[in-house]
Amino acid sequence: MSPIAAIPSSISSLMPAQAPGIQVPADLASPGSLTAAQPTGDSFSSMLGKMVAEVDAQQNTASQSVAALQGGQNVPLHQAVVAMEEANVSFQLMCEVRNRLMDAYQEIMRMQV
Amino acid sequence: MIQLLTGIQTSSAALDAERTRIDVISENIANANTTHGPDGKPYQRQVVVFESALQQAVNSDGSIRTAPVQVARIEKDGRPPLETYDPGNPDADAHGMVASPDINIHEEMADMISASRSYDANLAVVKNARAMAMQTLAIGRH
Repeated sequence: MSPIAAIPSSISSLMPAQAPGIQVPADLASPGSLTAAQPTGDSFSSMLGKMVAEVDAQQNTASQSVAALQGGQNVPLHQAVVAMEEANVSFQLMCEVRNRLMDAYQEIMRMQV
Repeated sequence: MIQLLTGIQTSSAALDAERTRIDVISENIANANTTHGPDGKPYQRQVVVFESALQQAVNSDGSIRTAPVQVARIEKDGRPPLETYDPGNPDADAHGMVASPDINIHEEMADMISASRSYDANLAVVKNARAMAMQTLAIGRH
């Protein structure tokens, strides 16, 4: 809670009387209400960055198992295929998040002002 | 590590186990007539023993950890070898008897079908888990 919001209502109700010439909208009376809510935890971009790194790691795992399989090492076929499939699903999830973000952005850009 | 396809790890372990079973069955069929192994004795039929790697348990975050299967050991079947009279065979003993492994091809084929069907079943689980993930991702697609 910001300190201004903590002012008792009896005092804040006096404030317009002290400055009668200035009409302050109720929303602007307390500056605390204007500042954007501080994000808790990671920002969206860092979350997306982590996701990209995760997908990249899974793609690397998949390509390593395929390379090991082709190199004649004792890697079961299904393990390589499952690794590829996991990488594929993670990639699809990342694409969905990206598409949703772009949809939201374009929706805002189309907004009439 | 994001876990999108949790059931797949269990099924993947099962695929591994069934593959080992197929390998052992192929070894049994290939050596059905082997009368002279590295130890001088006829080949002994082998069987795969499965075990679950973990007891099914609930993790601290509430997710259920499934119990994947793994190959515990590959044991020799205890059947005594078949004795046939074949004095011309180089492996025949003083009485002309040749010990050959007691392997029934039909039994091995039935085991192979069983292993193959189990493999198929686990593959179906993998495919289904993948289809579920893909359909879930398609919820908001338009």
